[in-house]
Amino acid sequence: MKWPCGPIEIARRNKSGSIQAGFKEILEAWGRPSALELLEGTPINCLIVDWAYGGPEDSAQQQALKPLLEAGRRLGISIVGKIALKEGEGAAVAAARAAGLSAVMLENTSGRSFDLPAILQFPRDKIAWETASTVFSSRENVWPGLGLETMKGDTAIAGPTGIPWVNSNAWFSLLAGVLAPGKNLWLDFDPPDTSTALHPASYALAIADSRAYGSQWIVSLDDKLRAALSRGDSQAKGAWDEMCEAIAFFESHKDWDAFKSQGILAVVSDFRGENAYMSGEVLNLLNRRQVQFRIIERSRLLSAPNQGLKAILWLDKEAPGAEQHSQLLAFARQGGLVIAAAYWGPREAKPTKKDPSLHYQLYNVGKGQIAVAEQGFEDPYQVAVDTHLLVSRRNDVVRLYNPETTNCHCSGEFISPHHKTRLIQVLNYSSEPADSVTVWVNGQVESARLWRPGIKDARTLQGVAASPGTDFGLPPISVYCALEFEGTNL
Amino acid sequence: MGAIGATASAWLASPAMFLARTAPASRVAVGMCHEYGREVLETLGSMFDQLGGLEGLVRGKTVAIKLNLTGDATDRLGYLPAEITHWVHPQVIGATVHLLGKAGAQRIRLLESAMATSEPLEEFMLQANWEPRDFLSAAPQVEFENTNYLGYGKDYSRFWVPGGGLMFKGYDLNHSYEDCDVFVSLAKLKEHVTAGVTLSMKNCFGITPCTIYGDGSPEDEPSLVPRGGRGPFHEMNRLPSKSAPPVVNANAPKDPGYSVPRVVADLVAARPVHLAIIDGIHSMAGGEGPWCERVRHVQPGLLVAGTNCVATDAVAMALMGFDPMADRGTAPFETCDSTLRLAEQLGVGTRDLNRIEVLGAPIDKACFKFRQA
Repeated sequence: MKWPCGPIEIARRNKSGSIQAGFKEILEAWGRPSALELLEGTPINCLIVDWAYGGPEDSAQQQALKPLLEAGRRLGISIVGKIALKEGEGAAVAAARAAGLSAVMLENTSGRSFDLPAILQFPRDKIAWETASTVFSSRENVWPGLGLETMKGDTAIAGPTGIPWVNSNAWFSLLAGVLAPGKNLWLDFDPPDTSTALHPASYALAIADSRAYGSQWIVSLDDKLRAALSRGDSQAKGAWDEMCEAIAFFESHKDWDAFKSQGILAVVSDFRGENAYMSGEVLNLLNRRQVQFRIIERSRLLSAPNQGLKAILWLDKEAPGAEQHSQLLAFARQGGLVIAAAYWGPREAKPTKKDPSLHYQLYNVGKGQIAVAEQGFEDPYQVAVDTHLLVSRRNDVVRLYNPETTNCHCSGEFISPHHKTRLIQVLNYSSEPADSVTVWVNGQVESARLWRPGIKDARTLQGVAASPGTDFGLPPISVYCALEFEGTNL
Repeated sequence: MGAIGATASAWLASPAMFLARTAPASRVAVGMCHEYGREVLETLGSMFDQLGGLEGLVRGKTVAIKLNLTGDATDRLGYLPAEITHWVHPQVIGATVHLLGKAGAQRIRLLESAMATSEPLEEFMLQANWEPRDFLSAAPQVEFENTNYLGYGKDYSRFWVPGGGLMFKGYDLNHSYEDCDVFVSLAKLKEHVTAGVTLSMKNCFGITPCTIYGDGSPEDEPSLVPRGGRGPFHEMNRLPSKSAPPVVNANAPKDPGYSVPRVVADLVAARPVHLAIIDGIHSMAGGEGPWCERVRHVQPGLLVAGTNCVATDAVAMALMGFDPMADRGTAPFETCDSTLRLAEQLGVGTRDLNRIEVLGAPIDKACFKFRQA
């Protein structure tokens, strides 16, 4: 959790003119050991404090934090010092080590290593996936929720259909799980600056939108909530409790982190450089359509398991290499569908056309097909729509009815070769509860366990046969719920 | 532009000259059927027999069926699937297709202008958890087309409204409505917030492509894909693309209760319905879709069919507990004009129950009062 306090934060706010009357005292108070009482009985066990930012306040900050660090150590709370320096991090790291910090968070290591664990932080589009630390962090993420604004200046930023536009970091978390396997992504983003207090559900959603997709949000409270908590406001306490419940809920279900994304579609790209925008947006928009997919980094295509895959979306402009080419053709010949921006299949194959709404040429290759976009891939929205249709909704793994502002993620693991656990996590991106949402799953399932934050035990939810799958009618969803079930042929 | 689809030359007089008593009368069959199952096929089969059989109408012909699949494929009233409340049920579609095929229809085309999308109709159905392959196996040569855009056609087909039209002089539609010999409206038995009721005639509101008549249609030419719904027909706040026939009266009231019934009456006059079938086995009361307030699931247990859409809708209205002779100010037309009266004035058919031969279950025995449900 971000713990802004002390001289650095006060100086930063003075400089930007953003400090409200009375808030200086709050920032000072949060630097005192007594502030840690807020964390008692909560699952929050790590705080991030400013340690050095290259201003004259650095040494005062480090001095001022000593009692807090000491109290933190006693309470078993890890404290990470954020170092925002362009050069000379070495001294700041040494001071952090001497002060007993658990780790430092910094952007620029210049390839140097330190004798204190370092959490590297990157802008989202510049992550060095390979060299990222075991725990790494990204900036420039979005605050999850409804994008209610439709216009920004003269530019329309609403979605191209009537589907509510949702801001989510889901796709990025999923991507991180693939490009940096075994590492933990911490998402750094702050609450939006609003004139009124944020809805308590907003915080729980920020937690769920990261945890459901395999990352963690660095909890960051807005000033209004911090001020209200400081004066013991009961509504603020309620919001805080709801947030802590959400964290505790995901901590108690850590086993779910090992589950793999389900889906019969593989999205292949290097997700870097010129391909980064298109591939990222396609992942985002596929997710918004509730298309369940697996991400495969282009260079790892040969080693990626293709069990259960029915389609591969080759997103990059670059044609596959020789071995990849053979692999993709073999996949098509065995009945798979390969979707690409350009044709590189066998010369003898002749294109056919499918539905007039789909601007693709379809080449029959063996038992399968290669679908080639007539105009290449230009608009990520259209690529996501077309991909869903080419793959066909017949292959949907999960669907939502009355989805409105909700979305879902499907993951699972094999218990035995033919027996699987499946988890469907449903998130509501509105502060209003989502009513009458039905989850349809593509398997015959008698019942599922319904999990909700704040409720310790799962409730059994009976399925209703909806051939070829099963419907589960969900109770009103405030922020999040999960359905967990086992079965064969899932 | 395609050829004139309707028999425009047969209609030389102005709409006002067509009187109710001259509008064609016909038979309407009412079947009682409490659930979706095998009995749907049996009941529909008996009803078509009561109407004189389908063979004479469809043998060797291309039959186009406009389905009622209104709204998004993911919309549900509570947890109930769309076909139990506001969509025509696949059992009714399948049975109809089967019976048409059995009667010798050469080609059967299932049509709907799927909400705000040009995606294949099969995909739209799949999204509602329907299996379109079931329809393919119900008869030989079954096809699908989403008619909300140009689709498989090279041009839109133009349909002039006989007598000059109440709202528009004519309508540009997907080619499917011209490239057929027999046109079937397969509707749901429902109330409608704007039009009072939505039956076999109002179902035809959805034959208009949103590429021309939609919220996002361009000013001059149709868009490639539909954007939004048919808001302009309600509010008359914008005109269709200029490529389409013009509005009759630019100063017409901007009242959905005025414009929607007139557009519907225009459409069934311009694109005649040869067979009207209404699924009222399960339905919803209070409105046409889950998006309406105070709607509820009902189970009237009824099927209605006829060869004249006005007469069929008149009987259906009576079965719903309404007077088909009612007009603005009286239920169910509290805030709108009666589409039945307007279509009757255009000479499409009669709404006078005294001139309609009701076969099968009598209205008083089969009546299911929607407002009391």
